[in-house]
Amino acid sequence: MTGVVPVRFEGVYLAGINDGTFDLEVPARSATSVIGKATTGVDTLGAIALGLTTPKRGRALVFGAVISEMPRHEALAYRRKVGYLPAGDGLLQNLTLRDNVALPLRYGSEFSEHETDSRVALMLSLFGVEDVAELRPATATEEQRRRTALARALAFDPELVILEQFFDGLTPRAAAVLMDLALGGVSAEGSRRALLITGQYLPDRLKPRIEHTFRIAGGALSHDD
Amino acid sequence: MIAPIVGLGNGAVRAVAQLGAMARFLFGALSSYRWLPKPGRRVTFRILIKQVWFTALQAIPVVIILAAILSFLLISRAVQELGRLGATELIGRLMVIAIVGELGPLITALIVTGRSGTAISAELATNKVMGEISALEGMGIEPAQYLVLPRLGGAVISVFGLIIVFDLVSIVSGLVAASLNGMATARYFEIVMASLTFRDAWLTVAKGIVFGMIVGTVPSFHGLAVGHAATEVPVAASRGVVVSILAIFLASGLFVLVS
Repeated sequence: MTGVVPVRFEGVYLAGINDGTFDLEVPARSATSVIGKATTGVDTLGAIALGLTTPKRGRALVFGAVISEMPRHEALAYRRKVGYLPAGDGLLQNLTLRDNVALPLRYGSEFSEHETDSRVALMLSLFGVEDVAELRPATATEEQRRRTALARALAFDPELVILEQFFDGLTPRAAAVLMDLALGGVSAEGSRRALLITGQYLPDRLKPRIEHTFRIAGGALSHDD
Repeated sequence: MIAPIVGLGNGAVRAVAQLGAMARFLFGALSSYRWLPKPGRRVTFRILIKQVWFTALQAIPVVIILAAILSFLLISRAVQELGRLGATELIGRLMVIAIVGELGPLITALIVTGRSGTAISAELATNKVMGEISALEGMGIEPAQYLVLPRLGGAVISVFGLIIVFDLVSIVSGLVAASLNGMATARYFEIVMASLTFRDAWLTVAKGIVFGMIVGTVPSFHGLAVGHAATEVPVAASRGVVVSILAIFLASGLFVLVS
């Protein structure tokens, strides 16, 4: 995947843009955010990229492939290359936090049960939720749920992570910690992963860590300098 | 004048459209098994086992009680009334046709619908409302494989297994009723076994599969058909159960017609 643009939106229709469509590229090894009001359709960008929603016009390429044009079973397998965290965390309510993190590994990897358990324990520890791992999402705090959801999204150690409205309701400190975990560490070449953050709000404390910030306002997509 | 006819027509069109949508839903769920990843099969199998535990094993006491009471009452009355007419050999056909063939599958399917159909509809509707379906798809997990297939398989296994339990308990309870009313055990078994045909066994198997598929499919379909409002969850649960009950009775009628 190295060298291929993680996400590229080509002529994609979005309600909040006056001429209807926009182009946008999410470069590798960096964090990109697209901020706008809910009515602009900014919250659909992640779903469009993953082929969960088909835009009225245009297309989105993830690592050079248009997921929405793939046969369903190929699209599902391809999505495992991306860490996706939908708005509202998307944790399964009938599973414990531990089982939520384990689910994608148990379902889509060839790891043995022991390997999966070890990896899950590591992720839970890394994300600071090992003490509450046996709780169900409904009994965990919002921050614990977000931490778990992010751990689950990163279970396959993807090169690209898409976060929808991820920072809403988090303290700036918690948001900064989770942002660092999502980026997977930073080297001279940049961060280990590409990050696409969409939503209505971005904590000030995170702004310096995000290389590219786009804003949908007044009917246009603009780059924040 | 014409409005009621138009209303009926529209209702019929909606019913046929929904039947078609449910058939597509069932076919989609079944065909998704072809590309279920190997590790995913283990996960799905575990859910299926849990489903059988909740749907079948936990329902066994209810099925035993209902089968025992129903069969006891029916055979007691039948032995008394048919005995007066000198036609006690008809008890065998009554047991096989009425209880084993018709009431057993019907009551079992209704019990499973009441207990598990509601749970399936409500659970899947909650999954949808909470955004868990999109999250599953985003993780590369097909909801039909993860949510629908194990419930469908669990329902078929459970309904089929519980029908067998119902029938066995009915026969034993009928034996107790017949004995208490003066019929010899050997005579009871003789007339029941003489009445049991291969066709009856085949029909019971077929009903187990068809009713199980209804109980697995209809509540799943209605559960996943909700939008994003929490208020839709109880509506979906209720609709899933009501339509399942109707479908079970209709299917039961169709079995009578074709057999």
